Amino acid sequence: MKILIVEDEMELQKSMQHYLELENNLITTASTYIEAEFKIADYDYDCILVDITLPHGSGLDLIKVIKSKKSKAGIIIISAKNSFDDKILGLDLGADDYLPKPFYLPELNSRINAVVRRKTFDGNLEINCNEIKIIPNQRAVFVNNFPVVLTIKEYDLLVYFITNKNRVVTKNALVNHLWGDSADGFDNFDFIYNHVKNLRKKLLEKKCSDYLKTIYGIGYNFKTDE
Amino acid sequence: MKLLIKTSLYYLLFTIPAMLISGYVFYNVITHEVKESNNEFLAKRALVIENYLKEKDTIAINVINKSFEAQVIALSSNFNINLKESVFSDTLIYDKKEKELAENSMITSFVSINSDKYQIKTWRSTLEYSELVQGIFYLLILLLFFLFLITLFINFWISKTIWKPFYATVEAIKKFRTNDNVVILPKKTAIQEFTALNNSLSTMMEKMIADYNNQKKFTENASHEIQTPLAVIKAKIDLLVQSKNMNENDLKLIMSIDDSCSKLIRLNKSLLLLTKIGNNQFLEVSEVSFEKVTANALSLFEEQIINSNLEIKQTIEADFKFKMNPDLCFILINNLLQNAIRHNVKNGFIKIEINENRISISNSGNQTALATNIFERFQKNSTSNQSIGLGLAISNEITAISTLDLKYQFVLNAHSFTISSQ
Repeated sequence: MKILIVEDEMELQKSMQHYLELENNLITTASTYIEAEFKIADYDYDCILVDITLPHGSGLDLIKVIKSKKSKAGIIIISAKNSFDDKILGLDLGADDYLPKPFYLPELNSRINAVVRRKTFDGNLEINCNEIKIIPNQRAVFVNNFPVVLTIKEYDLLVYFITNKNRVVTKNALVNHLWGDSADGFDNFDFIYNHVKNLRKKLLEKKCSDYLKTIYGIGYNFKTDE
Repeated sequence: MKLLIKTSLYYLLFTIPAMLISGYVFYNVITHEVKESNNEFLAKRALVIENYLKEKDTIAINVINKSFEAQVIALSSNFNINLKESVFSDTLIYDKKEKELAENSMITSFVSINSDKYQIKTWRSTLEYSELVQGIFYLLILLLFFLFLITLFINFWISKTIWKPFYATVEAIKKFRTNDNVVILPKKTAIQEFTALNNSLSTMMEKMIADYNNQKKFTENASHEIQTPLAVIKAKIDLLVQSKNMNENDLKLIMSIDDSCSKLIRLNKSLLLLTKIGNNQFLEVSEVSFEKVTANALSLFEEQIINSNLEIKQTIEADFKFKMNPDLCFILINNLLQNAIRHNVKNGFIKIEINENRISISNSGNQTALATNIFERFQKNSTSNQSIGLGLAISNEITAISTLDLKYQFVLNAHSFTISSQ
């Protein structure tokens, strides 16, 4: 995928670039509004990550620029402001998602994938990972073409793991992905543990290879390459 | 005690002795004057009778004698008299009309006409002193009463008009909130002292507002500025855990950094939320249904509820509908329910009661009531690692800004939070 990162905080920009490049994406970066405007005009991207507060301009105006180009790129707002107004305004302007800072890099990756899937293939894309096949708009999962019945949370976990396959995903990131902000007062690690345990069991029952590796005390790694 | 009553009482306290003294003076002056004029009158009358005697006007003398106003007695010639001495005296004379002995003052004088000697006694009823005292007493009481009424009226009038700016000031102070950002004290009043008071108060309030705004601005800026480095730390941790050459101990260290970092992020988010609520940045208002919001929140925490085996008892008499910001309503109920679940015991209960104008969420838990300062920031009653001590402060701010009322009670071994429309 070709991704443009518009972010003025260099360290964050570098980290995002680093993580997304691990997934074999082609990354272009821009640190200012003007630079971003140039790079948007320059090239067609699959996804553009836009920070709202930028030197020389607002990320919201960049969204207007992208939209006026009739670009098919998915747009994700990444903002430290985390304000409902910005979120609504951004989505109204045509952004596809809103990710408040700080965020987990696997979460960012998963959002990018979801947006691009939705945009480019109208969600009619299958996610294939060896013997596992997922049809996102039906929320259906198959292992060796046998359907697997998963709960909502198990399904979300599986998609998340596959999107971030061969990466270490921390428990904190999983909690954040499944419950968001609304349950952050809880110690949710036990629930994560149970969901992962059930998911693994259901996959193994259908003769799926055991990809899910537990990294004790840290999280999980969905390992598909040895 | 009201100023008005206090001043009136003092007024009375000081008027009574003044009245007593003036009563005494009054009495003395009147009796003195009356006596003097009586004596003068009697002396004149004695002189008139003497003239009649000199003119030998027996008819007139008879008339006078008959009128019981004087008595002329002829004395024997050898009676030794002192012609110059007229004697004034008080005497009691029976008054036929009043049928009682009445006080009279009397003059007794002696005249000698040619060789005849006469004693002339003439009298006149005087004031009865006891009646006078009584009269003066009643008069003074009446006066006192009227004066009191007048002072009351004046005081009332004063408090209505002169004290008006003062009461307006008191009212303004009562209504003063630093986050309203306005000083509503009038700069000018009819009374200099009140103007001075208002001016000092205005200066003080403006200072408070400025301080408050600076403080708020600082929290806001600090929270915003902290957000970016936190995002960087978070991202670096995510990259670091991907590293192939990390041993288990290294990873554990990183995870504890991540945990603290997550906590810091939560804390910062909560502070930002508090600032936003304080800044009134949640403008959108619509009618929210607490029943729906609660049901929604309950479904979010389904797993936690099942995990602790909590019994949910819902009593919904009627839906509680209220006009407020829907996001805030969600945060509010979310916070309270999270607390009810988190501070609960295994196999405990959560009781949710809703009617037209209130919702209460009670839960089993610790057997002691919480401290009264639970709504303050960073008041932690639990040792829970997840708790950052801002949830109730946020709930409190939300209810305050939405003109709702939030109360905590510990009844029947349950911790109960009640939100009601005021």
